[in-house]
Amino acid sequence: MPAADDSKRKAARETIVGLTEANSQNNPANLLQQDILHEISTLLNTNLDRQSLSYCVSLIENGVNPEALATVIKELRVQNTRYEAERGAAATEQ
Amino acid sequence: MSSTREERVDNALQQLLERLVPSQLPDENEAHADQRWDEANELARDLLDREPEPGVADDVNQAADLIKRRLVRDGGGPERASAFGNLYSRLLSQPVLDKKWGILYFLWKLTEGEDVNGSAGARSNSMGNRARHSVDGIDLTGRQRDGKDEQESVYDEAFARNGLSRMQRVDEVSSPRQPPMRERLAPGRPKPSPQAQTIDTQPEQDTSSGDVAPSEAALLRDMPFTLQGLSSTNLHFTDHSSLKLPHMLPVPLISLLHSLAEPSLLYRSLSQFVESSDGGLVGQSLRSAIGLELRSYLGLVATLEGQIRRALAQLDDKLTRGGLGKAGVTLKRCVIWTGEATLGLRLMSMVVESAKSKKGGELISLVHNLATSHGDAFVYTFAERLLTNITRPFYNMLRAWVYDGELEDPYREFFVSENTNYEDSGATSVWESKYLLRDEMIPSIVTFDFAHRVYLIGKSLNFIRHACHDSAWVEAYSKEASRELVYGDTANLGQSIDEAYKTVMTRLVWLMETKFALAEHLAALKKYLLLGQGDFVALLMESLASNLDRPANSQHRHTLTAQLEHAIRNSNAQFDSADVLRRLDARMLELSHGEIGWDVFTLEYRMDSPLDVIVTPWASKQYLKIFNFLWRVKRVEFALSTTWRRVQTGSRGVLAKVSDKLGADWKSARLGLAGMVHLVDQLQYYILFEVIEASWSGLQKAIHNPASGTVTFDTLISAHTAYLRSITRKGLLGGAGGVDFTAQLHELLKLMLNYRDAVDGLYSFSVAENAKREEMSARIETRTRAGRWGLTEADEEDTASPGFGGTSKGGGRSKTGAGVTESPIPSLLSLGGGTGPDAERNMLEQLRQRLRSLEADFKARVNVLLGDLAYQPDVDMRFLGVVMNFNDVYNPTRRRRQKPESKEKADAGKA
Repeated sequence: MPAADDSKRKAARETIVGLTEANSQNNPANLLQQDILHEISTLLNTNLDRQSLSYCVSLIENGVNPEALATVIKELRVQNTRYEAERGAAATEQ
Repeated sequence: MSSTREERVDNALQQLLERLVPSQLPDENEAHADQRWDEANELARDLLDREPEPGVADDVNQAADLIKRRLVRDGGGPERASAFGNLYSRLLSQPVLDKKWGILYFLWKLTEGEDVNGSAGARSNSMGNRARHSVDGIDLTGRQRDGKDEQESVYDEAFARNGLSRMQRVDEVSSPRQPPMRERLAPGRPKPSPQAQTIDTQPEQDTSSGDVAPSEAALLRDMPFTLQGLSSTNLHFTDHSSLKLPHMLPVPLISLLHSLAEPSLLYRSLSQFVESSDGGLVGQSLRSAIGLELRSYLGLVATLEGQIRRALAQLDDKLTRGGLGKAGVTLKRCVIWTGEATLGLRLMSMVVESAKSKKGGELISLVHNLATSHGDAFVYTFAERLLTNITRPFYNMLRAWVYDGELEDPYREFFVSENTNYEDSGATSVWESKYLLRDEMIPSIVTFDFAHRVYLIGKSLNFIRHACHDSAWVEAYSKEASRELVYGDTANLGQSIDEAYKTVMTRLVWLMETKFALAEHLAALKKYLLLGQGDFVALLMESLASNLDRPANSQHRHTLTAQLEHAIRNSNAQFDSADVLRRLDARMLELSHGEIGWDVFTLEYRMDSPLDVIVTPWASKQYLKIFNFLWRVKRVEFALSTTWRRVQTGSRGVLAKVSDKLGADWKSARLGLAGMVHLVDQLQYYILFEVIEASWSGLQKAIHNPASGTVTFDTLISAHTAYLRSITRKGLLGGAGGVDFTAQLHELLKLMLNYRDAVDGLYSFSVAENAKREEMSARIETRTRAGRWGLTEADEEDTASPGFGGTSKGGGRSKTGAGVTESPIPSLLSLGGGTGPDAERNMLEQLRQRLRSLEADFKARVNVLLGDLAYQPDVDMRFLGVVMNFNDVYNPTRRRRQKPESKEKADAGKA
């Protein structure tokens, strides 16, 4: 029994390590994946650059709810435009 | 692992925020930048924490379809969609990413907002404001927008007047729901955005050239359009939630227009809601219900329009106000006519507002609460109307679940949810963890009990279909029993659920009994693993005894199995069904160094699904533990009884002859043996009859409960677990009450085995002694016959026993010696080394000492055991103690570990 548990633990560790490796940016398979995802996001006009996209992907992989994440990004963008507008209004006032 | 996962999430989130939120703009101070950063952070955290679970069931293909549709709709031709299709297939072939669905869905959601630019921007703006402040703080929002519009001087007066009338309106109405809504509407309504204002003033001034205030007739003419939410000549809808009233109207008219504008704005937002498609099935049915109501509202508007047109046709320009008053249709009358409709619209928009974040059962509970706990009869009837519609998808899902065992829930709205983390490890997990009951989704139209029953029914149906492979019955059942469930029919509903529950449960139990022969397997478990089949066990023990004395690593599985077969064939076990015999197996446990065969042998009974839901792996382990213990006890009994048998037969022959020297030893040895045999017998009796049989009858009663309305699968499982638990606890195997009986018993058994070995040694010693004497007498015979002295000094030195004294044992003893053939354990004799008289005396002394110490140790341990037994809460265990000590030969001592001073007291006192 202990032998079986050990090998199971080892296999689990390997998959976890393998996953983190695969998630690292240097993995060639991952890079190809990133390309595909970036193209898809460009097709959809999401205005996400590669870095942001890769962060989003890693967030979702870690279990974050994708709907909430999309809302967050939309909100932040809206906030940004609002701040821009405010600044613009403030600038014109001055 | 979760902590590192959270760290990773945090890390990635921070970096993402860094990129999205500009760090510091040129003309902004640091504090403001930090504040923005904190706000963004908080917002992100809040949103992420609020919804840990996605709202839609995950399906990669569905997400891909959504994206494709979006691409096609956006224009740019089919090449974009085909490019996406290409990329998607490549993506699918990549093994790296885990949650492809999540990523695709995320991208789609992102673009969904970006498409509808202007209005979405404004809407998400207002939504964002609302999300950040609570509903009470909407004044803040209103005031913010006020600030922006203060620049427009044209409408200052109008605002003042509107403000006045607005306050008036609010004070009049007393219903608590309305002020927040009105304040939401009111700021929006008469304050159009600056740009739109400038645009609008132009055309209006052009059309109404010089005619400053439109007449009431004109307003009336526009009224039907306005009520439907369409912009008309005088009353423009500038954006989704504001209506621009013409200026320079007298205050009473303005106030009338206010009240007329309310239903129109409500209608607008409601129709927008009805158009939108979001949320789950219940949301969609809510939309359709509201759509129906809106259609009736439109009917009202149509009749109103008819009235207005007829009235306007009768206008007479000569009279004041064009004789409108006489024609019977005025703005005031319109207000009254739309009064009730306005209430309904208000109610609906309130429902829509609070329904924005809910789905499924929660939504139904919301509307149902309105129906039952609101005092206003209008609200009540309205909510009832809505409920019939809304609950339709819910009842559909209920029906599918109850009659088919299938979960048709694409938007996760039902209160039974499929557990996505469940791994398919056989029938046990299908029963236990594949489906979960989600409490928050239980709508208030059903009770918790009802929901629990429904959950059980569906689970059992599923179980029957998958694990018991009985889908034929399920099909037949669903065909004949399935019926439409509707709201409002609670009695019928309850009845159908009860019937379904009963049918399904009896079917499941029946399946267990007949198709899977549950009772037979349980009985077989009892016979073999719990040593119920006595003749089989005895045969097995006999044939295996010599085998198992050897060290563990010399045991071979095939020999064990062969012995098992032999035992089965020669006992009554051969008449069991082939299925049962197939599952019985002899096995070796893991062995460590230095163990002998007795320690690693075990029988095994294989159970497969679906019976292993009842006889869980834990249960199998318990069975093995009990078997181990019982096997040990049986082994000791077997060993002791063989020794006793030998001693008995020998006592007539050999031992009688050495009784002068070893008689006292033999007496005490026989006493010791008898005591131990008695103890073991009592223990066995207790376990087999008091414990196992009693629990077994309890189990049988639970299974074949004549009040069979209560026998469900769950009761079977719990009855079996209780059965095993009681066996382990009462059979002195559990650690009940902190007293470890198992260790004590194991020690006792070991002691008994050692004692038996010592007795065996004594026996061989006696035999050897006897042989020596015979040999001596034979020599004397021959010598006497040869005419020499019977004994010489050499012989005297040779003799081992001091009590010999030169007497020759009676003559006519045969030379061949009494039937002394077996001496299977020569080991102890070679202890002393050499055969000198001192050595032999030493050996005897050693034997005696050993026997005495073993006996003393045994007595002490039994005392402790009896002391512990006497204080057990269970009557049967106390009985065991009493019966073991029926003639008070032992003095039970009570072990007290806590207080040393009372320990002495206990030692002095006798139980």
